[in-house]
Amino acid sequence: MIRFLKLYEKFGIFIFIFAGAVFLAFATPNFLKMGTILNIIAQGSYAALVGYGMTLAVTSGGFDLSVESVMALASVFLAILIPVIGIPLAILASLIVATSVGVLNGLIISKLKVNPLITTLGMSTIIKGVALLVAGGKMIVILQKQFMVIGTGRTLGIPNPIYVMVALFIVFYFIVYRTSFGRHVAAVGSNESAVKISGVNVDAVKIGVYALVALTAGLASVVRTSQALIGMPSMAPGFVLVVLTVTILGGTSLTGGRANLWGTLLAGVFVSMIYYGLNLINLQIFYQMLSVGLVLMLALFIEGLRLRYLKAAKAKGIKV
Amino acid sequence: MKKGSALVWAANRWDNFGLPFLVLVLLLVFSLLSSPFRSAYNLVSNLSFSSLVGIGSIGMVFCIMSGDFDISIGSMSALAGVLGASMVTRIGSPAAMLITIAVATICGFINGVFVTKLRIPAFITTLGMQFVYRALAYIYTTNTPVYIKDDFWLSIGSGSILGIPSPILLMALCFAAAVYVLRKTSFGRYVIAVGTNRNAAMLSGINVDFIKTAVFTLVGFFVGIATVVTASYLGSVNPGMTGQGYEFQVITIVVLGGTALTGGNGNLLGALFAALFLTYMQSGLAMVQVNSYWQYVATGFVLIFAVGINRVKSAVLGQRDT
Repeated sequence: MIRFLKLYEKFGIFIFIFAGAVFLAFATPNFLKMGTILNIIAQGSYAALVGYGMTLAVTSGGFDLSVESVMALASVFLAILIPVIGIPLAILASLIVATSVGVLNGLIISKLKVNPLITTLGMSTIIKGVALLVAGGKMIVILQKQFMVIGTGRTLGIPNPIYVMVALFIVFYFIVYRTSFGRHVAAVGSNESAVKISGVNVDAVKIGVYALVALTAGLASVVRTSQALIGMPSMAPGFVLVVLTVTILGGTSLTGGRANLWGTLLAGVFVSMIYYGLNLINLQIFYQMLSVGLVLMLALFIEGLRLRYLKAAKAKGIKV
Repeated sequence: MKKGSALVWAANRWDNFGLPFLVLVLLLVFSLLSSPFRSAYNLVSNLSFSSLVGIGSIGMVFCIMSGDFDISIGSMSALAGVLGASMVTRIGSPAAMLITIAVATICGFINGVFVTKLRIPAFITTLGMQFVYRALAYIYTTNTPVYIKDDFWLSIGSGSILGIPSPILLMALCFAAAVYVLRKTSFGRYVIAVGTNRNAAMLSGINVDFIKTAVFTLVGFFVGIATVVTASYLGSVNPGMTGQGYEFQVITIVVLGGTALTGGNGNLLGALFAALFLTYMQSGLAMVQVNSYWQYVATGFVLIFAVGINRVKSAVLGQRDT
């Protein structure tokens, strides 16, 4: 069982993707075309982008419920600023706005020691209000058509969001596995007090984590806003669930301490297969919600099993 | 006097007097600012209105006290509401209301089973279930609101018994029952024990899984009652809108009421006052014609402020952090 679970942790997501692909291939003849597959991967990019950040937060033993609102805020700022200061500066400014919300989250969580769930839940509501106030409650249309390139353009036949997704993956891979910050994040997640004693600035690590989550939300918002060409003060509710599903399905342990970034990337693709794939066979949006919810429950079920076996194995003295 | 003893004095009295005092200040400020606010009609109708979140928060007090959260209650309310409301014409409104309460209770039970059997943090499990329930509500109604045209159901929100609006009576009844269960029954003591120290509770022979499942079931039960009242006020249940943000309001109320996030320490009367505070605050902000989006900002601040207050309180009294 232990061997199976270890294998699952590494390759489980491939089983999901394979099963999904077989199902879709039978259900719709359009699925097995290069264009469709690339589209699916491109659609999965937001979930994966924010998933990288969430992977970091979950690895640190925390959580961020405010990503949806941060995306909305960044989107509103983009739409307002693009006509004023141009596209590159507007992107930069909205990323800074997003990141500063994350820094605020991190400050409240680390300095005031408020539970991450409550902090980000409260912050999510505050930021939602701020986004609506800034936008005056309306959607803001962006007239600068060239902004669309980021979300809908193609380079060498591959949709641009896929490049963003891969580039950010490389950056996060480096951060998580190759820097001392990444090691500290994992250490904080597995044993915070031990890390504190060994002299690591735990507060700074946490602030960094939440800043990065918010930054990924900002980037995802840039891609999404560019596809819609509209600044949206309220994102479709439920995106945070998609992001969490991606993170947990990808094999990042909820107990903290272990990130699985590859898993997050692949789970992002899988979840967009569900979303986009079910679109292809003309199911209504509710069924997509239902299936993401069920997939999350399944992923949680397997995670629960894994934790139980790990505990049993530890009790028997088996090295895992 | 010892240094800091004024702080200790204040911290000791915060739970019983601090929040009622805040409610009074709030009422006073908004009464001065707005004449429609201070009308007896507005004050009473908001008191009834506070039952929507007040009744819903009772179960959550038990839940947070046992060391967990349930963030699926908004969707649960939508699902239970649409199922009950759609049956009014077939089985009559009393039975349909019972269906609503029963569905919410079953949803709570399912949450409890998942949380205890999966051993995954409850907020993630219930986040998943939030989507499942919402999706089921959509699928059942194919995304159309269900209207209630039954006089008896509609009279729950607007009716009164002996001159007291029935939602207020219902809320008082629910709180009295909950206080009794918490203080006088072994179940109440077990919930406190599980929330204070799960392992110790388990070792002393308490069936922790059973207590947790019961607590989540209780959350569903009270959400069901609140849904009946909400549906009566609105005259309809909307699969998409009903219960949107409900979990956030209820958790804010419970935390503002002084229930510690670390578990073991619940405050039902505090939750009642917090429900009044939030309802009057939202009504007051609307009446002084603040842009309605400020409501989000204000409510979010209240939540973080509430946690901050609880932390300061426990730091002063040398208790565990929240």
